[in-house]
Amino acid sequence: MIDLAFLNVSKRYRIPSETAPPPGLLGRLRHRVARPSTDFWAVRDVSFEISKGESVGVIGHNGAGKSTMLKLLSSITAPTQGEIHVNGRIAALLEVGSGFHPELTGRENVYLGGALLGMRRAEITSKLDRIVEFAGMSRFIDVPVKRYSSGMYVRLGFSMAAHLEPDILLLDEVLAVGDASFQDKCLGRIEQLRNSGITIVFISHDLMAVQRLCSRVLLMQQGQLAGSGTAEEMIHRYHEISRFQNTRSVERDITGARAASTGIEFLSPAGDSLTALPSGGPVLFRLKYETREAVAKVRFLVVVQSLDDVVQFTLDSRLAGRLYDLPAGGGEVDFHIDSLPLRDGFYRIDTVLYTEYEAEALDYQPRCATVQVQGERVREGLYYVPQRVDVRPVPVVSSRS
Amino acid sequence: MASSSAKIIRPPAFTLRFFARGISDLAAYRDLLFSLSQHRVRVRYKQSALGMAWAVLQPLAMMFIYTILFSVFTRVPTAGIPYPVFVFCALLPWTFFSTAVANAAGSLTGHRELIAKVFFPREILPFTYVFAAVFDLLIAGVILAGMMVYYGVALQPQLFWVLPVLLVALVFAVSLSLLFSSLQVRFRDISLAMPLLMQLWMFASPVVYSLDAVPERYRGWYVLNPMAGVVENFRRAIVGQAPIDIPSLASAAAVSVTLLLASYLLFKHQEATMADII
Repeated sequence: MIDLAFLNVSKRYRIPSETAPPPGLLGRLRHRVARPSTDFWAVRDVSFEISKGESVGVIGHNGAGKSTMLKLLSSITAPTQGEIHVNGRIAALLEVGSGFHPELTGRENVYLGGALLGMRRAEITSKLDRIVEFAGMSRFIDVPVKRYSSGMYVRLGFSMAAHLEPDILLLDEVLAVGDASFQDKCLGRIEQLRNSGITIVFISHDLMAVQRLCSRVLLMQQGQLAGSGTAEEMIHRYHEISRFQNTRSVERDITGARAASTGIEFLSPAGDSLTALPSGGPVLFRLKYETREAVAKVRFLVVVQSLDDVVQFTLDSRLAGRLYDLPAGGGEVDFHIDSLPLRDGFYRIDTVLYTEYEAEALDYQPRCATVQVQGERVREGLYYVPQRVDVRPVPVVSSRS
Repeated sequence: MASSSAKIIRPPAFTLRFFARGISDLAAYRDLLFSLSQHRVRVRYKQSALGMAWAVLQPLAMMFIYTILFSVFTRVPTAGIPYPVFVFCALLPWTFFSTAVANAAGSLTGHRELIAKVFFPREILPFTYVFAAVFDLLIAGVILAGMMVYYGVALQPQLFWVLPVLLVALVFAVSLSLLFSSLQVRFRDISLAMPLLMQLWMFASPVVYSLDAVPERYRGWYVLNPMAGVVENFRRAIVGQAPIDIPSLASAAAVSVTLLLASYLLFKHQEATMADII
């Protein structure tokens, strides 16, 4: 049975042009009413079907149309063309906390938020205890939510939606927030819902969570459906799209620029290509560049960021002590890392080329690659710190189960 | 079961099916309407020192000003009714209307976060402001009862007309709330114009004077303003200086119902893409 279907769905946004209004009151009015605009198709002719009980992930880069799809699915905005068929009660877990009213207590907000998610009052009353307990908030439930920390906000919001028991659950980046133990709890609850036969649509950057939860994945690219298949296949395709296309020619690639990076590879010290980097392990980042003419005193930077755009660290050729005079042509820069300090997860890469004499970068490639880091799951914290442990007096070692 | 909850999301259109969906959505979300209205009232008074007193302070203050202006400085004919009672019972429906519409006008733009992130029938937002104004009206009604006792104004047999009159006022307030709030999403001028509009509108309604003061030949045009029929007949129902003026009430009802249909259609059509432009 089909639970959810997109039939040739398109969504157009009109982006108003920034032209100044003509002078005079009448001119302003006319400009305001019929402002010239350009069309932007955030979703273009997308069709797919999701069967009852399936859990489907939607992945894609920023601007691929993921959030628009979510808005369409949850009826926040209507499609410009096409039809969306929804069979059953749909609940969207999009930043549920946004419905909270700061002056009201947690309890009052559960009623309000529940009603926003389409719950009946009696239904909320019957589930209130479980919601509060799951969020671990029983002590604070009668405190105005303006006194809550952002973590408490999210916990209560998620807990509400997780107890809604819809037929179809839409999940956004909700799992990106909260501490690791609560994230695990959320994933556990979602798995439980999935096993009970609920249809799940999970739209996320968190590829690991998508892989864990979803039997099928849709890959979006520039507003269109680029593929549908198993999580492994689609995540692989996702990485393919995000890598540099190494075949790009210098002329087309670096119009106006004298030098540009054209690719980055992630290798083991032995030079083997890695699909995932080991947390704490030795790795080699190989940056490829091309130059149209000789450029003096060049500095290479590789910036590693988390998916929520927090810079983790920067590889900087000047830290190694010098700048490089490059001849025309091209080459490679190897950054050797003895022990990668990243915790498990996905990271985005920016590359920058500077020359000493100019404030402006020669070349800047934001988000030109995405890389996965694997390792022991870090329970809390931002980094993986390689460590040795000594316990004194030397205990009887109990073997790990 | 499955077929009853099946839903098809289409581009907005002025079709019967589209609006039938809107009505059934609203019915499904009636608990949200209830919860939000309740919270609206609660939050409004939660952190103010005077609390509920604000609900009566405005009509009372207005009553004092107009009493000084129109029964001390200059005399407005009131058919023998004490001017404070005369003006206060007109101020009740008027204050209800102006508070409801002025607050509801900004209700969508004031909840941008919610509209961009959660689905629910958007008309619930302006509706909650209308209901909060109903609550204020009930409180002010208690004051009116007290004044009537004080001035010795007897209850009238035509008192029951209060209900249909208020129903018309409610329908009219709801329809303007829909109209103004959806226009405000595109044109922020609406909320800027609101204080001026309401001031002019009050003097175009028989609040400080009675309908009889309006020259006969302008009456037909005058009662096209539904608030004319509402305010005048609310006063007549309470103090009974004259029988209910059926023509003005009927015209008020006709205009209100027509406007309600038109503004609901406009609102639902706008709603489909509201989240994109708000």
